[in-house]
Amino acid sequence: MFNLIYYELFKTYAKWRTYIGFIAVGLIIPLIMWGMHLQAGHNFVQYQLRSLQSDFLITGNLFNGWSISQIIMNSLWVHVPFLISLVAGDQLAGEATAGTFRLILIRPVSRTRVLVSKYSATLLYTASLLMTIAVLSLGLGLMIFGSGDLLAVDRDMLTVLPEVHLWSRFLLAYSLAIWSMWVIASLAFLFSSFVENAIGPIISTMTVVIGLLIISNLPVESFEPVKPYLFTTYQDVWQQAFKEPVNWSRIAESCGVLGAYSAVFFSMTWYIFKRKDILS
Amino acid sequence: MSAEVVLRTIALGKQYKSKRWAVQDVNLEIHRGDIFGFLGPNGAGKSTTIRMILSLIAPTAGSVELFGHQLSTEREAALAKVAGIVEKPDFYLYLSAFRNMQITGAMTLGKTPLRTMIMDSLQLVGLAGRAFDRVKTFSHGMKQRLGIAQALLCKPEVIVLDEPTSGLDPQGMKEVRELIARLSREHKMTVFLSSHLLNEVEQVATRMAIISKGKLVAQGSVEELLRSKISSVKILSEPVKRSTAILKKMKSVSNVVLNGDGISATIEKSDIPKVVKTLTAAECKIYSIVPQQSLEEYFLSVTEE
Ligand SMILES: Nc1ncnc2c1ncn2[C@@H]1O[C@H](COP(=O)(O)OP(=O)(O)OP(=O)(O)O)[C@@H](O)[C@H]1O
Ligand SMILES: [Mg+2]
Repeated sequence: MFNLIYYELFKTYAKWRTYIGFIAVGLIIPLIMWGMHLQAGHNFVQYQLRSLQSDFLITGNLFNGWSISQIIMNSLWVHVPFLISLVAGDQLAGEATAGTFRLILIRPVSRTRVLVSKYSATLLYTASLLMTIAVLSLGLGLMIFGSGDLLAVDRDMLTVLPEVHLWSRFLLAYSLAIWSMWVIASLAFLFSSFVENAIGPIISTMTVVIGLLIISNLPVESFEPVKPYLFTTYQDVWQQAFKEPVNWSRIAESCGVLGAYSAVFFSMTWYIFKRKDILS
Repeated sequence: MSAEVVLRTIALGKQYKSKRWAVQDVNLEIHRGDIFGFLGPNGAGKSTTIRMILSLIAPTAGSVELFGHQLSTEREAALAKVAGIVEKPDFYLYLSAFRNMQITGAMTLGKTPLRTMIMDSLQLVGLAGRAFDRVKTFSHGMKQRLGIAQALLCKPEVIVLDEPTSGLDPQGMKEVRELIARLSREHKMTVFLSSHLLNEVEQVATRMAIISKGKLVAQGSVEELLRSKISSVKILSEPVKRSTAILKKMKSVSNVVLNGDGISATIEKSDIPKVVKTLTAAECKIYSIVPQQSLEEYFLSVTEE
């Protein structure tokens, strides 16, 4: 099994399209940093503080690597699903396009095992992309803007998270972000099993994600009843890592729903793939 | 006759989305050591049958048995000692030939195949020098040979080749045929080979089946089928026009065609003396009656209906 996963990873990382994601975040993140650096940050913090009526006393530099990293997490919300679906949507469809299913699915390895190894490679790619974002944004952020406490704004509540806790907070946030993005990867993977061309899965995944994100976030009365059933409603679970105190039951609930979605998407993929006639 | 049956299809059938049967009621028996030719014109259902044998598509009817294992229920055991190529040879173009071999080899062995094993296989098809080039840079003929190399890698006992010489030049075809003969002779492999080329099957196969419009029309040893009752003959007789007219009128003679080099016709062997007598009685001069014992003639007679 490890051998199968190894070669799926090998195939994934030998493809040019896999690096589009890394190149994109490698360009966007430094660009954001550069822009922030020019602004010296003050306007932004002042903007955040303006919404608070209290006369809060702030010590130290609040505009630091940590807050930059948090801002970046917030702003990459649509890019990252796109970069993920680029690879996940190609996993099965790409082999169909290339005709290479004829090479591997005649081997004495069950389709289930082939599928599990491909899915594992997809999840690992997703994790590696988010870890790259974490390392880049925290690394560059702390280097350029230095360290300090993190100012967390939650509706009308303002909390200052002390510097010493931030490593574990960010570790939690990125772990939750990975868990959340695995749903997107699973969805693109599912769409990938329907067709013989990767364009379809990428476009359908993005259409679904953007459509559901809009429904999840629009304050429209008639959408309220469906919101609890959409995975997009739970995808910002990583923000819970910056609440004080951390609401663990909320995190557990969100992760449960997201995990269930991933499991359902994977099961559907398995059902389809197991029966699929390889005609390419 | 008592040879072990390594591959058997039982009433195998496939309907694609349209309800037409692409393959219907195909019963094949391939014995250990056979070079089995699976002959049929374009669209006859050769690739469809091979896809079912190699578990790429599910049969609509019937079943496949390999080494006594049901493909539908014991897939891994059934395919453990089988390898092959289906339709055109496709690979991971962005990887080297060597990497492609590693990947497919690992899927059979459960671990990465040894470098020497891969190089030996590539050597066998004359690609050792290009092992580390991307497959993207390979010609069609090279891919075809790489396809055979990857099939041979794990020392299968049965190798299924779907038109392995298609797209090759005469020299390439000859090499592949020689390779197939060698695999059978030296490595005791059983070869199942599809082709629409009659002379190819005639040259390499020991047993054969003919498929046409999805149905088997004949199966047996190549010799047996060639010794079949139906025989095509070429008749040189004068005057040509009158001879042709007489032949056309005879019940026991069919497919009478007048070509530049004589009259070809299908006559059962036992009827030939009667034909000679009739023509002589009509004062035609017979110069020769030559049997056209080629598979080609036979093939056309069974597939053109
Ligand atoms: N994906 C498909 N969907 C529908 N019909 C198909 C499909 N693939 C093949 N067929 C039909 O099945 C029949 C058999 O096709 P198949 O490819 O098995 O023939 P073949 O003997 O391999 O021909 P060739 O010598 O051209 O390779 C044909 O009538 C073809 O139209
Ligand atoms: Mg074919």
